[in-house]
Amino acid sequence: MKLFGYKPTATAWLGLAIITIFIVIAVFADVIAPYSESESVGQTWDDPSWDFLLGTDNIGRDMLSRLIYGARMTIGVALVTTILSFLIGTTAGFLAAVGGTVIDQILSRIVDVMLSIPLLIFALIILSVFGSSIVTLVLTLAVLDSTRVFRLARAVATNLVVMEYVEAAKLRGEGLWWIMRREILPNALPPMISEFGLRFCFNFLFVASLSFLGLGIQPPYADWGGMVRDNGKAISFGLPAPLWPALAIAMMTVGVNLVVDWILSINSRPSGASAEM
Amino acid sequence: MEEYNKLKHMFDKGSLSRRDFMSGVAMIGAGMAVAPSLLSGTAQAATPKVGGTFRIGMEGGSATDSLDPRTYADSVMIAASLCVMNGLVEFDPSGKPTGELLESWEAKPGAKEWVFNVRKGVKFSNGKTMTADDILYSIAIHRGETKSPAKGILKQITEIKKVNENQIAVTLEAGNADFPVILGDYHIVVVPDGFTDWQKPIGTGGYTLESFEPGVRLVFKRRGDYWKAGRANFDMVEIRNIQDPAARTAALQSGQVDAINRLDPRTVNLLMKDKKLNVVRTKGTGNRFCFVSRVTEKPFDNKDLRLALKYGIDREKIIQQVYNGFATPGNDHTLDALNPFYNTAMPQRKYDPDKAAFHFKKAGLGDAKIELQASEGAWGSAVDCATLFQESLKKAKINLDVKKVSADGYWDNVWLKAPFCAVYWGRRLSADQTFTQVYGSASDWNDSNWRVPEFDKLIGEARAELDEKKRKELYFHAQEMIAEDGGMICFAITDYLDGYAKNVMGAEAHARYDMNDDRIAEKGWFA
Amino acid sequence: MLKTIAVRIVLGIITLWAVSILIFAATEILPGDVASAILGQGATPETLAVFRHELGLDRPAYVRYLEWFFNALHGDLGIAMTNKRVIVDVITPRFMNTLFLAGYAALIAVPTSVVLGIIAAINEGKFIDRFVNIVSLMTISVPEFFIAYVLILYFAVQFEIFPSLSTVFPEMGFIEKIYTTALPAFTLTMLVMAHMLRMTRTSVLSIMSQPYIEMAFLKGLTRSQVIVRHALPNAAAPIISVIALNLAYLIVGVVVIEVVFVYPGVGQFMVDGVTKRDLPVVQACGLIFAGAFVGLNTIADVLAIMVNPRLRHPR
Repeated sequence: MKLFGYKPTATAWLGLAIITIFIVIAVFADVIAPYSESESVGQTWDDPSWDFLLGTDNIGRDMLSRLIYGARMTIGVALVTTILSFLIGTTAGFLAAVGGTVIDQILSRIVDVMLSIPLLIFALIILSVFGSSIVTLVLTLAVLDSTRVFRLARAVATNLVVMEYVEAAKLRGEGLWWIMRREILPNALPPMISEFGLRFCFNFLFVASLSFLGLGIQPPYADWGGMVRDNGKAISFGLPAPLWPALAIAMMTVGVNLVVDWILSINSRPSGASAEM
Repeated sequence: MEEYNKLKHMFDKGSLSRRDFMSGVAMIGAGMAVAPSLLSGTAQAATPKVGGTFRIGMEGGSATDSLDPRTYADSVMIAASLCVMNGLVEFDPSGKPTGELLESWEAKPGAKEWVFNVRKGVKFSNGKTMTADDILYSIAIHRGETKSPAKGILKQITEIKKVNENQIAVTLEAGNADFPVILGDYHIVVVPDGFTDWQKPIGTGGYTLESFEPGVRLVFKRRGDYWKAGRANFDMVEIRNIQDPAARTAALQSGQVDAINRLDPRTVNLLMKDKKLNVVRTKGTGNRFCFVSRVTEKPFDNKDLRLALKYGIDREKIIQQVYNGFATPGNDHTLDALNPFYNTAMPQRKYDPDKAAFHFKKAGLGDAKIELQASEGAWGSAVDCATLFQESLKKAKINLDVKKVSADGYWDNVWLKAPFCAVYWGRRLSADQTFTQVYGSASDWNDSNWRVPEFDKLIGEARAELDEKKRKELYFHAQEMIAEDGGMICFAITDYLDGYAKNVMGAEAHARYDMNDDRIAEKGWFA
Repeated sequence: MLKTIAVRIVLGIITLWAVSILIFAATEILPGDVASAILGQGATPETLAVFRHELGLDRPAYVRYLEWFFNALHGDLGIAMTNKRVIVDVITPRFMNTLFLAGYAALIAVPTSVVLGIIAAINEGKFIDRFVNIVSLMTISVPEFFIAYVLILYFAVQFEIFPSLSTVFPEMGFIEKIYTTALPAFTLTMLVMAHMLRMTRTSVLSIMSQPYIEMAFLKGLTRSQVIVRHALPNAAAPIISVIALNLAYLIVGVVVIEVVFVYPGVGQFMVDGVTKRDLPVVQACGLIFAGAFVGLNTIADVLAIMVNPRLRHPR
């Protein structure tokens, strides 16, 4: 079987399978989950049992059900955030590299300034101006993330701009946008895709990291990062509760990156250059 | 061992009134069911041994801490100040005020005029002998143009003057039999007259300050000539600021510190099994956790809605799941059972979804949504409690929206402003102070905005009432009024939980604060 | 090339200046009142007014900015509002601690992840590649405190190999410091490795389709030789950029680690400052973080120019 004209490797299939399963779980959470997302059905941190396959959480809710429902919020918010941040960050980064010194310096310094402001202060100001809502959260995270994406995109593109084919395009009189899209983007894809895979997964946790400011998923809705956070203390006395959401994040991370690796290997395999054919 | 609790936020702390004595003993006894070795504290009291470095890991410090008593707000600085300095009044384990730098006192009939005797022969660490002037100065810095949190409770003083080197006379605006308790407030510690160098404080305490890195640690050295016999027995005392409960517990378990405060209730059972450790618990003197609605705002101006919410909260479940059982259910007012005026006749309000549904229906609000604001900034597990509240209301067909808001600035932006939010209250010095501050019409902190002239009158009468029995009746009625009509759902009062290494002696229960009234460095010793 | 680098450095300084304005402005508009945050619920309107005047908060913002900025140029960051300490004296040892821990973690993490990344690239698709990848991905799937708690549980509580309290004090020797801070350093290492490792691997692999690499293969060089000699220098820019980002994280983003391991760094200092709205403290921390950040980025850009043959000699 082929996907987009290429035949996935075994590990790529595994990655695709993991992602598909999680997406199916997210979509059909209502049908699959044994309990509701919010109901406290057991004691605090019950051990796994037939009633609660993965035990219960910090206030006695079924861990498995929360993981299943949590897939929605977690994957959804992280995906939207990451896509947004890459749209902003990559465009700006390429523009900085292609558009000449002045544009480059303006954009780079703006980003430096933004990155230099401590996250806590940045978040507090966003919060006071825009209030806390899921839209604010996604936008805040996307903007913050895009600054980091920008740094990378610019670094990659700067290397490409000096290549002969870009020079040639410039001499042909192609526009900035055309050069960015047709010459830089395809060649910059590998590191950017790799970064996407990681950023996407970082964002599972990032989403939860601002929740003490009320910027986050509101209770009683579950998200994996928040579940690790809420149950985190249990690990310090040897209870496995936070391992489950962490495991879900880990599986998703590995799944996404297996696919990413496959996409990268398509890209980087022109001739005898690869060890694995 | 025993324990008591302490609150952690910027609210000023309360202590027991001396009348709490008898019931205090009874309740601390109740706490022993968990830690049967509790009374060993008395047995230990044999002969304190001198020596060793005592390392305490405490929550309740910050990089912004200062030894200026006008800035104390939390445990680390309270405990630190008591190493170097002394208070005016000390409290015995039951919470009864006893003499410290004010050795004894006497009130004229009506308790409006007081005479205090200054302890003689006490020397500051700079060699100067402490006199009435030093005490007057140490009180004066909390009065007038100052940002001291103790300013409010000292407002009742109309005149304070030196009678002679060893006597002070105080006149109050109205009689107050509990005035010595007020002077026991933790902000009031004694320094030499005119002293201002708070980075190197001079006091009459058992230790001198060696080094102080705010938010990191304080190191103290034994003076050796302490005026309290058998106290201040460690060669060195080190107070480390350890904010994270898991980190504190790990430090105690691995022997890097000898004592810690504020155990995570969920770890207590585990720690009690550890043979190297002692857990000390004081029942029901800690923080009062509440959800407070402002009765002047819609829809909370509806008494039936308030009742519905009070019946719709599953107190037992919250206490079990969030506090692992280390709390007592609140009865919708902030007085605790240790207080002699606690209304024992009023039945404990229990979770009753049917009653909640009945009152909610009677309120006639349709299926209106009600929003509760909660945050980790209110207290660590406020959001968990709110989520459980939300669930328990579902059974009564009441929809509650829980809105998690920013921990930063919570007390500025949400408390006293949001129509319905999470609040905790600390213990107050006396029943009168509790009622006046939390529910009195004149109080700025009346967070439920429940201002009832009839109630104010009741409290006023009780303050002036000298007959204990009549006073009790008045206070009982006051509690009924609050619980029935007020905007506060007070659902739990926590226990204070401390952990000690087994070889730390003198780790007794104290009815006021945890860590033996924050004086474990002074009262303890190594076996 | 020297000119390019000089320009870059000057721009870095200008950035820092812009950041200083922004940080000052940001702290000014932080919601919540300084005076009431410090005074707590005990504040009455009159004590608040007294206190504000005492702090000089009743003067216009631009006056205070200029004063602050010029003092900062002379190395004077002011006095903390809350405890009246000289901020430079307090922040200097804390910043040294932060740098020490960041440096410790970076010295382990950067070489390890670059080398592992190269090894993974050389052995692309083989077991070692997959293994290194998956393990490093697992470590970024959990929040920092989680790794910290696990390390404490096993290394400090159960086996008592390392202390869980990593507080360093001035009187400690270098070796003692290394030992005391082992657990936070390991935790941080695990947190930053995955990102750098994967970027090294990807960047190297992405170069592999370039004509000059094929040329190198045609010359008969082995895969390892091609990667180390030809691919790596040309792939360096994104790697350096990611390393700089992670070093910046090690300096500015480790509050949670500081809290869990009770490590006295700048992060916790700033959080306490923010909570109490101690503006001079927040501004000082912000400035120091910004300085570290801009500095690292400048160095990264300069390095990127230096390692890339094409950028080195711009046409």
